[in-house]
Amino acid sequence: MLSRCLLAVAGLLCALARPAAADPKPVTLWHVFNLETDMIYGGIKGFNESQSDYRIDARLVPANQLNAELIKAIATGSVPDLVTLDNPVVASFSAQGTLTDLSDRVAKSAVVKPDVYFKGPWASGLWKGHIFAVPRDANTLALCYNADMFRTKGLDPAKPPQTWSELVSAAKTLTDPGKNVYGFGFSAMQAEEGVFQWLPFLYQAGGSIQHLDAPEARESLQLLVDFVKNGWASRDVINERQYEVTNTFMAGNSAMVLCGPWELPRLQKDAKFDWRLALLPVKDGKDIHASSLGGYDWVIPKGATDSDGAFKFIEFMSNPKILNEGWKTGRLAPRSDVVVENPLWPQAYAIYREQLQTARARGPHPQWPDLSRAMQIAEQEAITGARPIGDALADAAKKIQPILAKTPL
Amino acid sequence: MNRRGWRFLRGRHPRRRAARTVPVGSRSPLLFLFLAIPVAYLLALVAFPVAYNVLMSLQDVNLGNIADLLRPFAGLDNYRAVMADPEFRKVFLNSLMFVGSNVVAQVGIGLAVALFFSQRFPWSQGLRGLLLAAWMLPALVVGALWKWLFATEYGVVNFVLIGLRLVPAPIHWLSDPSLSLASVTIANIWFGTPFSMILLSAAVAGIPLEPYEAAALDGAGPLQRFRYITLPALRPALLAVACLVTIYTMRAFDLIFAMTGGGPLDSSNVLPLFSYQFTFQQFSFGIGAAIGSFAFVIVFGVALLYVSTLKREATE
Repeated sequence: MLSRCLLAVAGLLCALARPAAADPKPVTLWHVFNLETDMIYGGIKGFNESQSDYRIDARLVPANQLNAELIKAIATGSVPDLVTLDNPVVASFSAQGTLTDLSDRVAKSAVVKPDVYFKGPWASGLWKGHIFAVPRDANTLALCYNADMFRTKGLDPAKPPQTWSELVSAAKTLTDPGKNVYGFGFSAMQAEEGVFQWLPFLYQAGGSIQHLDAPEARESLQLLVDFVKNGWASRDVINERQYEVTNTFMAGNSAMVLCGPWELPRLQKDAKFDWRLALLPVKDGKDIHASSLGGYDWVIPKGATDSDGAFKFIEFMSNPKILNEGWKTGRLAPRSDVVVENPLWPQAYAIYREQLQTARARGPHPQWPDLSRAMQIAEQEAITGARPIGDALADAAKKIQPILAKTPL
Repeated sequence: MNRRGWRFLRGRHPRRRAARTVPVGSRSPLLFLFLAIPVAYLLALVAFPVAYNVLMSLQDVNLGNIADLLRPFAGLDNYRAVMADPEFRKVFLNSLMFVGSNVVAQVGIGLAVALFFSQRFPWSQGLRGLLLAAWMLPALVVGALWKWLFATEYGVVNFVLIGLRLVPAPIHWLSDPSLSLASVTIANIWFGTPFSMILLSAAVAGIPLEPYEAAALDGAGPLQRFRYITLPALRPALLAVACLVTIYTMRAFDLIFAMTGGGPLDSSNVLPLFSYQFTFQQFSFGIGAAIGSFAFVIVFGVALLYVSTLKREATE
C-alpha cells in the first residue's frame, strides 16, 4: 500500500517536472570575489532566473590561487567555461593559445562594443589583433589620507598634496615616531602588487618600462627609497601586501597611503576617522597625471564545454545596469557609458573615476611576469639598500630589454 | 635497550611475530592482491608524479603545451638555467640553513620539553596536550600570526624587547634581508616543536626506571644519568624524529608564503616556494620542475636514511 502511494507520488512529480523542458545546461564559472555584495552574485542570480537555457555554477577561488588552479585545469584538460583573470596575466594565457578567441562573438554582440570601453582595460584582452577577454571591472590607485591627522599637524585637509614635493613635505610633517605614525605608506612587496604601486611614480616621472636605465626611472625609485630612508615610510613596506598597507592606514600607523577602490568597503567599516581620497600627485615640472590600471577580465578557456552560455553570461554582466552595481564593492566600470548616480562614497567615486582616465594597463605582454619580477628585484634592492639604485635599475633593464626586443610592449 | 617507547614509530608489534611461523607454501594468492594494492598506490601517487616532474624538467613547457605529455625536449637546459641563477644558489643555501636549524632546534627543544613533562607534577599531562595546539593550527594561520608578532612598528615582539630595554630600536624582523630567514625559522621552530616533543615524550615514557635507580645508588648525578642512560635509550627515537623533521621542514611552504612570500629579495625563500613561484607566477614550468627535482633529491636522501635507520634498529 505504502509503496503504491510512493509510486503515485513519484509519477505525479515526474508529470509535473516534464513540461519544464530540458534542464538548463550548466556553465561553470570560477571567480575570486568573496564579498557577498559583489555584482557577480546579483548577476548570477539574475542570469539564472532570466532564461532557462543555461545555469551558472559558480566556484569561488582565492585570488592568489586562481592562476595555479587554472593552470592545473589546463594541464589536465578539464577547464571551466568562464574565469575572471587579473588583467596583466591575460596575455600570458592568450599568447599561448589557451583562451577562446572572442573576436567573432564580440563583433556580433549588441552589448560588448569595443568603442565604449576605456582603452586600458580593453587593451588587456587583446593579443595580435584578436580579442581574448572582456573587461569585467577596472581599478586604479589614488592617495588615501587621514584628514584628522592633517588637522592635528596643521595641514589643510582640503588641500592634499598635489605634487611630489608636496607629498614629501606632507609625509615629513605627518611622521610622528613617538606615536608610531609614518607619513606615507605603499606596498613594495616582492610580488606583482609592488610593481603595481611603483608604476604610477615611474609614469609620472616620464619614465617607462622600456627604459628602466633612464634618469626618469631612477628619479621615481629614488622618491620611494627616500621615503623609507628618511623614516617617512616604514621599512616594512617591502614586506607589506596592499591590504596590509591599508591596515596600517586604518590602524592610524600611516597618515597617507596608496589605495585602490576595492578597499572602500573595509575603510567604511573599520576606519574610525575622517578619511578622504585625492588624485595621485604629479612630479613637479612634469605634470604627468598617471596611475596603474588593475581589474579583472572575463576569459573563456579553450576547450570550454559551453562557450556560448559563457559568452551570454559575459554579455549579461557587461550590461551597464549590472556594472552600475559594481561600485558597491568599489569596482569601477570598464566602460565609459556607465555613470553611477548617487554613488556610495561620492568623493572617492569622483576621484577614482578621474584617476581611471590616466591609468595605464600593464602590458599586455605574454612575459609580463618576467618583466614584473625584474622590476620587483630592482625595487627591493634599492629600498633595502642591497645595491645602489643605478645598478639595480641597470640590471633590471638588462633583463627586460631582450624580452622586449623579441616581443615589444 | 628498551624499545617499547618508540615502537609506535615503526608500527611493529612483538605479538605479530607469530605470523612468521606460517609455512611459505600456504601463502594464498590473496596475499599478492594485498601486496598489489600498496604497490599500485605507490606507483600511481608517488612514482608517477616524481617521473612526471622529472620529465617536465627536461622539456620546454609553456601554457600552450602543458596539456600534452610529449613537449619539445630541452635536455638539461632547465637545470643549467637554474644553476646559473644566483637567486637559486641563495635559495638553495637558505633551504639547507632553514632545515638544519629547524632540525637541531626542534629536536633539542622537543627533547627538553619532553623530559620536563616526564617529571611528575600536577597538570603535566594536560599542559603537554595543550602544547600540541600550536601544531594543529593551519600553517597559513601561523604565518599570518607571526607576521603580526614580527611587525616592526606594532608587533608584540618588538614591543616586549623595547619595553624590557633589550634592544635600543625596533628590529626589522621581516624586512631586513639579513634577518628574515632567521625570523621565519623561529616561527617554524615554534610551529614544529610540539610534534617532536610528543614523539619524544612517548620514547621517554618507555625508558625503564631501574637503570636510573641503580645509577642513583652508584652516585651518578643528573647530568651523568642523562648522558649515560637517557640519551642512549633515546638514540633511535631521536634519529627517527630528526629524519621526520627534516622531511617536514624541507617541504615548508605555507608558513613562509604567509610571512614573507620568500622576500625581501628571496632572503627567506626556500626550494618548494621558489619552485611554486616559477611555476605558477612566472609560468616557467620547466624551471619550476627542475627546482622541484633538487628538493626531491634531498628529501629522498633523507627518507632513505630514515628507512635504513628503522631497518637497522629492527634487526638489532
